Amino acid sequence: MAFEWLNKFHHEMEKDPDYAEKTLAAYRLGMKAKGSILGVVIQPLANCCEAARDLPDGKVYDPDGAPRLPLPGCSQGRRCGCVYRPVMSYQRGDEP
Amino acid sequence: MNTMASVLARVPLFKLYRAFGWPKMLPLNLTLSPSPKCNSRCLTCNIWMKREDELTIEEWDKVLASLGHSPYWFTISGGEPLMYPHVVELAQLVYKHCRPGVINIPTNAILPIIPDRVKRIARLCPESQLIINLSLDGLGAKHDFIRGIPGNFEKFEERLGQLLALRAQLPNLTVGIHSVISVFSVADLDELIAYADRSGADQFITEIAEPRVELDTVGLPITPSREQYAQAIDRLIAYVESKQFRGMSKITEALRVEYYKLVKRILDEQDQVIDCYAGWVSAQIYANGTVWPCCVRADDLGNLRNHSYDFKEIWFGEKIKGVRRSIAAKECHCPLANASYTNMLHDLPTLARVGGKILHPSGHSPGAKEPSSPIAP
Repeated sequence: MAFEWLNKFHHEMEKDPDYAEKTLAAYRLGMKAKGSILGVVIQPLANCCEAARDLPDGKVYDPDGAPRLPLPGCSQGRRCGCVYRPVMSYQRGDEP
Repeated sequence: MNTMASVLARVPLFKLYRAFGWPKMLPLNLTLSPSPKCNSRCLTCNIWMKREDELTIEEWDKVLASLGHSPYWFTISGGEPLMYPHVVELAQLVYKHCRPGVINIPTNAILPIIPDRVKRIARLCPESQLIINLSLDGLGAKHDFIRGIPGNFEKFEERLGQLLALRAQLPNLTVGIHSVISVFSVADLDELIAYADRSGADQFITEIAEPRVELDTVGLPITPSREQYAQAIDRLIAYVESKQFRGMSKITEALRVEYYKLVKRILDEQDQVIDCYAGWVSAQIYANGTVWPCCVRADDLGNLRNHSYDFKEIWFGEKIKGVRRSIAAKECHCPLANASYTNMLHDLPTLARVGGKILHPSGHSPGAKEPSSPIAP
């Protein structure tokens, strides 16, 4: 994929204290306002914590039900390498 | 008043600043994003979902006062900037404190209030060139599909007509068409070129869809492949080169062709290709007062609310040094147009090629129009 460095960079960025709240609120609004967002996935890094490794692979969450990042017990705190990613209708071959 | 000559005079100083950290310089090119709110639902952008504790207009006043006359080029971005309730006051403050050569505002062209706001800004900032770029990603239903708003194309045409009529009364107004070349639109570039050519707009500019932290599009498959982009953009380059331009337009169009070729190389080589000056010459201030070197990385360099609204405290502070080291070490690369045009001004081989083109133009089309735009990211 083009600009793979940015994906890695984004994973490694220090998270704001309200990262989970703000990101999930945005996705909630996006779905309510009928954007092409279908839900949210959590993308862990290879060296993520055990709790992140236990997450179901590729599960699409509703923003209200998505686990909060950093996950409870994550040893990396705001340096947690997990990120939320929106899931868009065009990624699923659906019309937005 | 900031002039292009004053910009070029500062190029060697910025080269020294990037290489040695001296002399300390404030940016030439600044993007302000007063609000992420937007009434479009584009497939290539998710910023409209965000909500921020936005700077008030009083806070913007203090920030802009701290910049003085350094910036030549301001972009007021968004979200949809012309939907931001204080956009006229913001532009007025930019003008009052900074007297830039250019104020550039992109718009989705949806709201009926847009021409009135544009007219007021143009009149309140008479010595700045005001560039309004209307977004166009397809024709008819295709545009509506990509932008997620039924009827958007119709509104685009209505707004374009209104702004072109305004242009006749406002000598400092430039009206352009801006297309994002994404996986959704790359096959349609020819018809966009043809439409723009007959539209009466002063300029047609394109930018490749790219992932950005700002837009929450990291990891999304919106960027066309190198091959798709190259095929499309080569036709745009051929179009531009078939035209005959005069005066300032000769320079802007030569730079535009250089930009399109640069993007091809960046996609191909996955490298900066030319030095990036984001964090030295260009920067962005986000809605909540956070300063970024650019909207692609969106590194948090500091929040102006925690620095007495003094841009210099952040720009000449400690935190930015690590980010500058990362950019200088080429830990990133991207084709962001806004930064790329600034970077090209600081790249001697690019300037030499542009100079050569101005002296030995290849276009000889007899009926070519003369766009009136200045250098336009």
